[in-house]
Amino acid sequence: MNGTAILKTWAVAAVAAVLPLILPIHAAAKEYLITGTKPNLLFLIDLQARKVVRQYKIPKDGPPFSISASPDGKIAYVVTNHSGAVSGIDLDTGKEVFRAELPGRQELVKSIGGMTLSRDGKELFVMESVSKLLPGEYQVQPPRVAVYRTDAGLRAKPARTFNTPRRIAVLAPSTDGKILYGLGWDLYAFDAATGKLLNTQKFFNWDRPNSSRPDLLNFWPMYEQSEIYAAPYYYSRTDIPQNNPDSQKTGLLMLDLRTGKMSLVDFENTSATIFSAAVNPKNPKQVFGVYVTLSRINAGDSPKLEKRVFLDHSYYVIDISADGSECYLGGTMNDVAVYSTETMKKLGDIRLPGGGDMALSVLRIVHRP
Amino acid sequence: MKHLKPLNKSAQTIDDAAAAGRLEEVHTMQAKVVAGCATVFDPGWEVDGFGGVASLCQPMEADLYGCADPCWWPAQVPDTMNTYPEFNAGSPSAARDWRNLQQVYPKK
Repeated sequence: MNGTAILKTWAVAAVAAVLPLILPIHAAAKEYLITGTKPNLLFLIDLQARKVVRQYKIPKDGPPFSISASPDGKIAYVVTNHSGAVSGIDLDTGKEVFRAELPGRQELVKSIGGMTLSRDGKELFVMESVSKLLPGEYQVQPPRVAVYRTDAGLRAKPARTFNTPRRIAVLAPSTDGKILYGLGWDLYAFDAATGKLLNTQKFFNWDRPNSSRPDLLNFWPMYEQSEIYAAPYYYSRTDIPQNNPDSQKTGLLMLDLRTGKMSLVDFENTSATIFSAAVNPKNPKQVFGVYVTLSRINAGDSPKLEKRVFLDHSYYVIDISADGSECYLGGTMNDVAVYSTETMKKLGDIRLPGGGDMALSVLRIVHRP
Repeated sequence: MKHLKPLNKSAQTIDDAAAAGRLEEVHTMQAKVVAGCATVFDPGWEVDGFGGVASLCQPMEADLYGCADPCWWPAQVPDTMNTYPEFNAGSPSAARDWRNLQQVYPKK
């Protein structure tokens, strides 16, 4: 073997040795989308093939609402039964392997949006709104997070609970698993192990001068691809006449789950309603938002709307591929639309079997073999 | 308050309690309605936030169950979360099945 060949062999060996360390872990697995429809169905969608590969019937009543997937992409946990239960479905066998009925004794308990798994998949955090059923009235109780062990089986009871501020409808774990973020009127950081409120970053109660309180719909948890939660907010400038378009502003609340830093990025005078947003994993300053239109937003140093296209119908939720090339629109009706993030043109759509509405069912992307 | 006229029994109760200085005895709707039910008159069903219709869900059926399921607008759409869980049973597609949906009435 001559010197050139030795060098080439060494180079190939060196690259092969470090390749598994530098390539993202997702490269070895395929991307699948999990979503649900009425009456109470769950679907596993192969995003590369753009087709439904598995369909599951979730036991008892629906509809499916919030979804969280285990880190290995094998189990999907779904808020269901009129927001009064959480069901865990094994995506390989189709069997229900976990179930928690939320109502307790003389209590009416509903979970509206907030649900997430711990990073190690061992615990399930469920936001609970609680009313006590008294003989002549409902009595509102403090909201709480109920923490379940995911190996608790089909009659799961909370291992512990902790009270929280009101109006939290999104829960998200920090990437190191130590913090549980809850977004309500403000952004709360809880110690995931104890439930202690560690700090609060103001949002609704912000001190921004000459500004009304902001409005944000904190329902949609599609942060898993970029590890940045993003949601649009709206507010008015009180120092500008309200009939002046410059008085109405739209921005993005962005929470980096790696650092815990919350950014508020105003990017346009309010021109369209956006329901939910997803951050490009390859470019964390690029955000996509959806409702009646699909918007591509530059959330960098000079924030602005880059492009906006009208859609065939309104969608509630959006998620994005790991390579940032495609975004997926869902919620409301019966299809998941696929759009190019670069051209903003529709690439296709995936019709869900049975024809039922997705309604509030979220989209979550998992990586599995 | 002087420009508001009570239209139902609950509202009259608030008015009477306010006049008698006993407002804290009246439990507002938020204390009696289960979680999720909207207590705001937020544009978005008949008109959008801009006063028009362009920013409403398109078509209207796309939003019907998204509003019924979380008790978003209990005055306009029956809530399937608690009060009328059977409202859209057997009609999983609003665009296809809306003719099956019935009006709802207070339970006796």
